[in-house]
Formats: sequence, C-alpha cells, structure tokens
Amino acid sequence: MENFASLLAGFQVALAPENIGVCLLGAVLGLVVGAMPGIGSLAGCALLLPLTYKFNPTTAIIMLGALYYANMYGGSFSAILLNIPGDSPAITTALDGYPMARKGRPGQALMTANLASFIGGTIGILILTLTASGLATIGLMFGYAEMTIILLIAMTSISWLIGENPIKGIVITMLGILVASIGMDTLSGAPRYEFGNMYLLGGIPFTPFIIGCVGFAQVIKLINEREADEKKRSSEDSKQKLSIKDSMLTGHDFKRMLPPTLRSGTIGTFVGVLPGSGATTGSMVGYAIQKKFKSEEPMGTGAIEGIASSEAANNAAAAGAFAPLLALGIPGSGTGAVLLGGLMMWGLNPGPLLFDTNPEFCWGLISSMYVANIFTLLVAILVIPFLIKILSVPVKYMIPIITCVCIVGAFSTSNSMYGVIVMFVSGIVGYLLDKNGFPTAPMLLAFVLAPMLEENMRKAFIASRGSLAIFTDSPLKLVLLAVFLVLVLTPTVKAIRKKMGAGKKTRV
Amino acid sequence: MEKKNFNLRTVIPTATIVISLLFIVVGMKDYGFWKGQPTPGFFPIIIAVVLLASSIACFIQIARDTKSEAVHYNRNELMVMLGAAGIILCTFVIGLVPSCLIYILLWLKFVEHASWKVIIIIELIMAAIILGVFTFWLQIRFPMGMLLEMIL
Repeated sequence: MENFASLLAGFQVALAPENIGVCLLGAVLGLVVGAMPGIGSLAGCALLLPLTYKFNPTTAIIMLGALYYANMYGGSFSAILLNIPGDSPAITTALDGYPMARKGRPGQALMTANLASFIGGTIGILILTLTASGLATIGLMFGYAEMTIILLIAMTSISWLIGENPIKGIVITMLGILVASIGMDTLSGAPRYEFGNMYLLGGIPFTPFIIGCVGFAQVIKLINEREADEKKRSSEDSKQKLSIKDSMLTGHDFKRMLPPTLRSGTIGTFVGVLPGSGATTGSMVGYAIQKKFKSEEPMGTGAIEGIASSEAANNAAAAGAFAPLLALGIPGSGTGAVLLGGLMMWGLNPGPLLFDTNPEFCWGLISSMYVANIFTLLVAILVIPFLIKILSVPVKYMIPIITCVCIVGAFSTSNSMYGVIVMFVSGIVGYLLDKNGFPTAPMLLAFVLAPMLEENMRKAFIASRGSLAIFTDSPLKLVLLAVFLVLVLTPTVKAIRKKMGAGKKTRV
Repeated sequence: MEKKNFNLRTVIPTATIVISLLFIVVGMKDYGFWKGQPTPGFFPIIIAVVLLASSIACFIQIARDTKSEAVHYNRNELMVMLGAAGIILCTFVIGLVPSCLIYILLWLKFVEHASWKVIIIIELIMAAIILGVFTFWLQIRFPMGMLLEMIL
C-alpha cells in the first residue's frame, strides 16, 4: 500500500510538463533508434546521453529510461519487416515475425509485437513497483563485505552470459576495472596511474569512453553490413504498404497472443532482475519457454505466440532490470551500466539509500515508466504507416552521420578534444575487442562498477584489519559467496566435462 | 621447413598481459599494496594479477585453437577510422563543425557515391542537429580552429 502512495507521489513528478515532454521525446527517439538496424539500445543510449546534460537528473533519467524502453519496441520493427533485428532482444522476434510478414500479415505481426510489448512492460513495471523499495530495504542490511560479493557476482555474471568464452569474459571485465582505476584513488584522492599526463589525472571520462566503445565501434562494424543491407532493401519485403486499419488484430488473434504475453511478461521480469541478464536473455528465455507450450502454428513459422512471448519478455526484462539498478546500484546489462553511469554523473548514488534520500527521483522514474509505456504504444501504433519510410534509410548513409554524432557528442560532454580522443581510441579498442570475440558490455559494466567495488572491498579490509574472514562470517555472506563460486566455476567444470566426453568418444 | 604464421588473434591477450604487468610493476613501485591498511595500489594490483592470469590462459587457449577462422580486417574499416582521425586533425585547423560537414560531404560523394540531393538533405539535417541542438540548445562552444580564430 505504501508503495502505491509513493507511486502516486511519483506521478506528480512524472506528469510535470517538462517530464512528459522528454518522456515523449525519449519514446520517439527510442523507437527510431531501435528500428534502425545495427544501432541498438546500448549505442542509442550512449549516443543520446549528451542530449540529457541540459536537464535535471530526474528529467534526464526519465528521458533515458523512456528511450531504453522504447528501443525494445523499435527493435521488433526491422526484425518483422526486414528480418534484420534492430537490437539483440529482437532476434527471437524475427524468428516468427518475419515469416508472419511473409505470409501477408506484416501489420498484424507489428501490432502483436506492440501490444505484447505494452502488456509485458506493464507487468514488469508493476512488479518493479511492488518490489524495488523492498529490495532496497534488504540492501540496507548489506555491509561492505556483502556489497563486495554482490558486485563481484554482478560483474562476473554478465561476462558469463554474454559470449561463449568465460576466460575472455574475465579478461575484458578486469580490463574495464583497470581502465576505471586510472586517475584518482577513490578513498584517498591521491593521483594514480596517470603516467605524468594531466588529462589522465581526471581519469577516463565516462561518456566519451562509452560513446567510443559502443557507438564508434558500432560504426566501424556497420561498414561491413552495407552490401547485405542494400540487398535486403531491394527485396519485395521492403516495398509493402501498411496501414493502422489493416494491422488490427482479430479477437482470435488476441486470444492467441494473451496467454504467452502474460506468461513471458512475468518470467521476463524476473530474468531482468538477475544481475548480468537483461532484455536479450529475457526474450530468449521467454521464447524458449513458449516452445514448451502449444501454439496454433508451429513456432518459427509465423506464430503469433512466438512474437508475443519474445516481445513481452524483453520489455518486461527491461523494466525488471531497473529494480537492482535503483535498489542496489547494480545494472543488469550494458545499457543498465550506461544508465547507472548517467545517474552517477548527475550526482546521484544508486543503491539502498536512494529510495530514502531521493524518493521523488525513484518514484518519479518508476511512474514515468508507466507514462512512457503508454506513449510508446501510441507512437508505435501511429508510426506503422510510416515504418517502411523510416526503415528505408540505408546503413551506408548512417555511417558518416553516426561518426559525426560520436565526435560532437564526445566533445560536448567533456568540453575538450581530450574527450574526442578518448572516444576515438576507445572506439578502435572496442572494435578490435569485438572483432576478436571479446564482448564489450562486461567491460562497460566493470568500468562503471569498479569504483564502488574498490570502495567496498577496501573498507571491508580496513574494518577487518586485513582478515579474509570478514567475507565468510555470516550465513548470508556464505550464500552469496557460494553463488559467486558457482558462477565462476560452472563454465570451467562444463569445459572439463566436455573435454572428458570428447576423450571418451575418441577412445571408443 | 613449414613457416608458422603469427596468430593475429593472440594480439589482444598479448596486449592485456603487457597492460597487467605495467599495472603490477607501477602499482608496487609507486603506490604500494598494504601499509597497515590497503594503499591506492591495493585494488588495481589484485585486479592486474587476475588479468595477467586470465590473459595467459586466454593466450594459450587461442594459440592452441587451430579450428577457429583467422580474423580478417579490411580496408573499409580502416577508412572509417581514418575519416574520424581526419575530423580530429582538421578540427585544429578549421574547427569541429566545418570538419564534420566536410567529412560527410566527402564520404557520401566519394565513398558512397550518393546523389547531390541526398548529400544536401543529410548536410542540412546534420547542420541543424549540430548547430540547433548542441550549439544553441546545449550551448556548447565547439573549437573554431586556427584558421577561423585568425579570421574572426
């Protein structure tokens, strides 16, 4: 009950004219960026981060939240119409969305995606409303040692889930932490690893680093997608005509869509809450579970149930990911890391105390998600007749545009060419890492969480006078440690078992 | 005798091995590890040691892996990097905004062979975004470059 009273107070913040305006702007930008193949929510949030500098923290994060959220909607557009997922959570949407469009029902496929996203997102936000402050209360019981282990879990789990190779995950996570340790020592403020360079004394600036690693690295990759993109665009699929009237679902379609939407919405939310997961894992889990249930048409052949399960799960997971972000200061994904970095940049300290120190911010953000969800649904439906036009912007024209946005954005957030150079170098590094199979999302997460991890770890050691027993002296810590060890050891054990299995086969 | 090619995929773990060693050596030498309590070098040194161990494991894993395809780099990717580097260098001479607009023009005309109509539309949109959003709304003062500073 208390949560709903706080939520109503939050609506006073969310419904302020300025916040409604940025919410709508975030929804439109998110849909466009999400629909553009090859950009994605992570790069979208990073590229648009400089635009939020003008706002106060609440308004800024409301815009970014709406943008992230609308991205989940937008990602499905190109997945359904062009078979090119706009973002990784839409990969599973393409499995049924594109075949359904090929069957002559592209409008219904889009409408299913929109409605499932709305319902899934609403479920996610409702669960967030009910649990976020409770999670923060639990978080208040955590000391330095518990927070250290939780942060380690968050960092390792994302490197485990993204990419197939855990060793590469560790390498990239550690690299992110080391990059973050350049500049000033978090506790004493003493200069550290600045190598005599006055620019490095201030550390590696967050926004240019993120814009480079994600945005500029993405542009370098995009150049290879030009020809494939041209081919897809010249096909018959991109010459369809759509209207809202023809996109309406029948009662039977809606009945087919609802059960998987409700199921995946609930499952997706809990997947989103888990550190290191996020919308992509959410949509994959939602889709995989739907396969175990009956659907009128086989999954993968244009089943409404497939689109609904994937879209409901990814929107719900996007909403669910806000719970650990706000309550514990732990982002669930790379995009969450960008949002967390934004919060820190605006002087807010996400974590258990945030609900006590800045309730108007927390509840304003949660309330704004309801508003953003409605706005995004409306915009997503109204935009249907113009989608073909929006999606007809070829990748080859986006390359110089995004390059310039990266450079201008990096300059504007640092007010110096140092920011542009950081963006440029981190972009090339991000591209090289990606090319060699090292996922960059764990590095971003580690970069953002490193100061918190160092502070908690060092304070824990100061409190215990160097004794490691501080990490094992309570049942809660032992449970957390066990979770951490399971996460660390599972891939190693799996690899050993795989080798042993292969060895047996060759002997036979 | 068969000549073995250098595996390009080992470049990343090699680089991270060097970085971790640098952080360990500089950390131990300049910032220390423990003086009654953790010193500024404490945390980065621990992380660098983990990075060193995982990088060595990664190096061995990649060097042993003969099944994975070699990583290929192409000229187009280099062109994007050179384009951005060109903007950065030109900024010091003609300023950031003109550099960006000239880059877009050159890229669209000579790399993408776009029509003048497309080029003009994109130039106008980008000029509106840079000047409207960044210069007027966010009030960012972009560098003018040596030439414009001399003229103005």
